[in-house]
Amino acid sequence: MAVISSDPFTRAKDSGDDVILAVENISKRFCRNLKYAYVYGLRDIGAEILGIRQESDKIRKHEFWALRDINFAVKRGESIGLIGANGSGKTTLLRIIGGLFKPDRGRVRIKGRVAALIALGAGFNPVLTGRENVFINMSILGLSKREIQKKFEEVIDFADVWDAIDSPVRTYSSGMQARLGFACAIHTEPDILLIDEVLSVGDARFRAKCYRKLADLRQNGTSFILVSHSANAVLNICDTAVYLSKGQLILWDNSQDVMQCYEADLLAASKQDLQQHPRPAKANNPDSELLISSVVLRDGEDGSIPYLYSGQAGKISLLCEARRSLENVNVSLVIRELTGDNTTVLSLDSLRDDQIALSVPMGQSEIQFVLPYCGLKPGLYNAKLCLNTKPYYVYDLYDHFRFEVKPGASIVQSEYYQPRQWQVVSPKH
Amino acid sequence: MKETIYTPASQITKPLQLLRAMVTDLGKSRELAWRLLLRNLRGQYRQSFLGVFWALVPPALTAIGLSFANSSGILRIGQTDIPYPAYVMLGIVLWETFRDSLKGPETAIRTSRPLLAQIKFPHESMILTQLGEILFNLLVKLIFVVIIFLVFKVSVSWTLLIAPFAFLSLILLGTAIGLLLVPITHLIEDVSKSMDVILTVWFFLTPVVYPMPTQGRLAFFIQLNPVTSLLMTARELVTTGQVTQGSAFLLVSFLTILLLLLGWIVFRLSIPYLVERIS
Repeated sequence: MAVISSDPFTRAKDSGDDVILAVENISKRFCRNLKYAYVYGLRDIGAEILGIRQESDKIRKHEFWALRDINFAVKRGESIGLIGANGSGKTTLLRIIGGLFKPDRGRVRIKGRVAALIALGAGFNPVLTGRENVFINMSILGLSKREIQKKFEEVIDFADVWDAIDSPVRTYSSGMQARLGFACAIHTEPDILLIDEVLSVGDARFRAKCYRKLADLRQNGTSFILVSHSANAVLNICDTAVYLSKGQLILWDNSQDVMQCYEADLLAASKQDLQQHPRPAKANNPDSELLISSVVLRDGEDGSIPYLYSGQAGKISLLCEARRSLENVNVSLVIRELTGDNTTVLSLDSLRDDQIALSVPMGQSEIQFVLPYCGLKPGLYNAKLCLNTKPYYVYDLYDHFRFEVKPGASIVQSEYYQPRQWQVVSPKH
Repeated sequence: MKETIYTPASQITKPLQLLRAMVTDLGKSRELAWRLLLRNLRGQYRQSFLGVFWALVPPALTAIGLSFANSSGILRIGQTDIPYPAYVMLGIVLWETFRDSLKGPETAIRTSRPLLAQIKFPHESMILTQLGEILFNLLVKLIFVVIIFLVFKVSVSWTLLIAPFAFLSLILLGTAIGLLLVPITHLIEDVSKSMDVILTVWFFLTPVVYPMPTQGRLAFFIQLNPVTSLLMTARELVTTGQVTQGSAFLLVSFLTILLLLLGWIVFRLSIPYLVERIS
């Protein structure tokens, strides 16, 4: 874990650029106990009204630091990503920057207009039409009537809801509502745009449109502060990133390095998980006729191995126990990436593959998922395994099989291992 | 370019800056408040066929019930200057306006929770919206009062023209108290529940359904009650034109303005702490 040594302001000043947002020694405390939270709330309001509230460096009983001494700065036109696990303080920080929470220590300096893309469609009234709601939502975001009228067509074009613009918002699909909300927020032309994990709305086409719009805004000098779990979003949009963990700033640097550090930590944490959880599955349904007793990895020669290797042969083996011999058994397998975007990389069904169902004899047996080459790139994965029969009846399910793929063959900068050959063929005469 | 700075220090230590910010935000709130008001009213009435009718039912039922009780001798209410049904109807409408104003800030915050937790906007607009709704409801109810007055052939005084000032005082006193209570009504659930109990007692300590008593132990408390002079004056200005509580009315109105300013400051300063706890 690295910590930034130089002071962010001198750093920003040295570069001679215009700092648009400076977060200086920000700390924020929260209270987990509800009763104490009320008491502290009242006391804080009292101190605020009497004017005796001061910077405070102590935490009271039942309190903890949600943010502690956070420092970073954003230059004009630059974008920054806030990353970290859930509960690391990203959203709290975003809300302090947005002026919703008061910091307990330090200060935030902002030049220009801030808009939040946090609330998609906050303030939408389901009974009113899309048109009315656009006007309301945009005036909440701080635009005057004339400004809204000027932008109106652009907003509706972007949200692509011309057909439904005079129908009540209640009749909109959730995707349409999200699109309209996003369109409203993004057309307010702020200097700084706060984005809190909202890019996951809508279909892929609309998301692509959003990214294009964000790129346009960036061209025009808008800065983004993006909270996201998605490595791609941060790497695509942000120049720098801040990595938070339990309210502490772990690293502030260019987004690539920060993302690397974050993923390395994530990997280390997951590995610990891997060691803590024993492999064997426990039965969900002990009365079932077919049970998975454990799941193991094997190499090409059926020897048990701790990891799979990219580009090499391997097997995922389900050790099962059947009460009687069964026909028509189907294995479904879903593999998700644990690091990165948590995307599904494989979703397979034995029945769909061969059109032949597996037959499992009575007693113990092993169902093997044979990989002539393991195509997965190195990393951590979670497999969800299910034994079932058609029509849908589940014998047993094991959804927490975690495994690691180690580098085997060279797949640098590739998304998966491609079995391959290179050759030269001369034309035949 | 304008620079915004957020620090932990209390804003009240720089009163001039605070006042300037309050005025600016109030200015910024007007357009938004108007839009939110239209939203709320449209939303409310687009969903129901009978619309404004529902605003009239509760006060009308109370007035009718009390009138029957009075005319059949179950209740013994003293002599009123105008026919009792008209007297009680106007009184209840005025009381409900005060009550709604008092609950206004709490309602405003409760209904805007999702917004408050996610977007920074001038919070004064919530209060202005609420005031707009209260005024709208008052106007609707006054139409009904006019009908009652016509039915019972009650004559009105020329002082009707200055009655709106008394109405305004009543609304502003309620709002001021509501604003002052914002920190506690939102932090502690019990307070907002006990408000209903307090308001019920308060109702009986105000000459809404009975004329101003001249003697008895209660008369003292009724006289102390600030709502008494405002409500009595409002009603007298509409009907007889003879103001019996003039000086008390002016005093309370003056205090209301001070209280309103204080309440506004308390409201403004409390909001960030409330937002922390509702999000």
